[in-house]
Amino acid sequence: MKIKEGNAGLIINFELLHLLNSRGAAKDTTRVMASVGRSEYKVYDYLVGTVACNQTKEHINEFLEKSQKFKLTKAEILSIINTRPSQLVELDPIMCRQIVEQQEQRPELDMEELLELILQVLPPPPSETEPEPEPESEPVDEDNNKTADAEKNVPDE
Amino acid sequence: MFFLSLIEHKLRLPPEDLSLPLPKGIKKVLDGIFLDKVIANLGLCVSIYDIRNISGGFIQAGEGAPTYTVEFRMVVFRPFTGEIIVAKIIESDNDGLRLSLGFFDDIYVPAHQLPQPCHQIPDPDRRYKVRWIWEYDIEDTGNPEQYNIDGLDEVKLQVLNVSFPPLPIEQQEKPFAPMLVTVSQPSTDQYLNVVWGQFHGGD
Repeated sequence: MKIKEGNAGLIINFELLHLLNSRGAAKDTTRVMASVGRSEYKVYDYLVGTVACNQTKEHINEFLEKSQKFKLTKAEILSIINTRPSQLVELDPIMCRQIVEQQEQRPELDMEELLELILQVLPPPPSETEPEPEPESEPVDEDNNKTADAEKNVPDE
Repeated sequence: MFFLSLIEHKLRLPPEDLSLPLPKGIKKVLDGIFLDKVIANLGLCVSIYDIRNISGGFIQAGEGAPTYTVEFRMVVFRPFTGEIIVAKIIESDNDGLRLSLGFFDDIYVPAHQLPQPCHQIPDPDRRYKVRWIWEYDIEDTGNPEQYNIDGLDEVKLQVLNVSFPPLPIEQQEKPFAPMLVTVSQPSTDQYLNVVWGQFHGGD
């Protein structure tokens, strides 16, 4: 065995999930007929539990386009798409790695703006059905139940 | 977390697979060889992405199966340092925690990387295991709350190090782990508070 290229490109979780789905991982409930191995099913189970299960190619492309002005590194984009931070404190560790140099090079990086872009473009994980609290929005109606029905009756604010 | 790797490999296609279309037969053999195995200093092989090139197909003297040289791309799991991953706790003892991703079980948080201040109490349910408790003062009242680091939550962690220990010569007590990922809780103080709040249904 010869490793020709150790690193031939990074993959986001969504792409791997898409690959497994294209082989039929989602449709075959018996897990015997699709050409997906048992260990691949374990990876599939893990990915379905992350934010990647709600994402589509359009979401990703839109995010890549709109985040260009922030000049994020590949690693940061990857982490953001894979984990979809919904609050500033979640965004911090992703951006924190290059603290001193980056702050000098790109002082216009606005974390709040980036967070808003993330919340706007990337879909939330399926467990979060409550509307996200955003910095300048009005207070959320506290009687909102965590059910799908409540989402249909969005209160006028 | 995942990346592609271009690999070239010489393999023998067993006669029972000769009736399949060639790419399918080759993929079947590759799956058997690589899937769920760790390649040293590369990572855990997850899946074959695509087959780039198949050449050869000659039967060598004295053998009953053709040998092919295949060039293909494979999806490999290896988180890079500083990446954030989400995992579940499966074990906790004196030295720290052990977490799992479902397909990969050797993620360790050494005790000194747990959020400070924290202490351990012997676990009432299991011998030789301890439960870690994290004291965190959210509102600065001087009265810290105690959070159980137990198996109910999912934890977000930052990767510190990925190591590939060499194969041991003698039999060890613990099953051998060819790839170890060492992680820590991300360094921001507030971070854990928020994450805990989310998974405990809000403070």
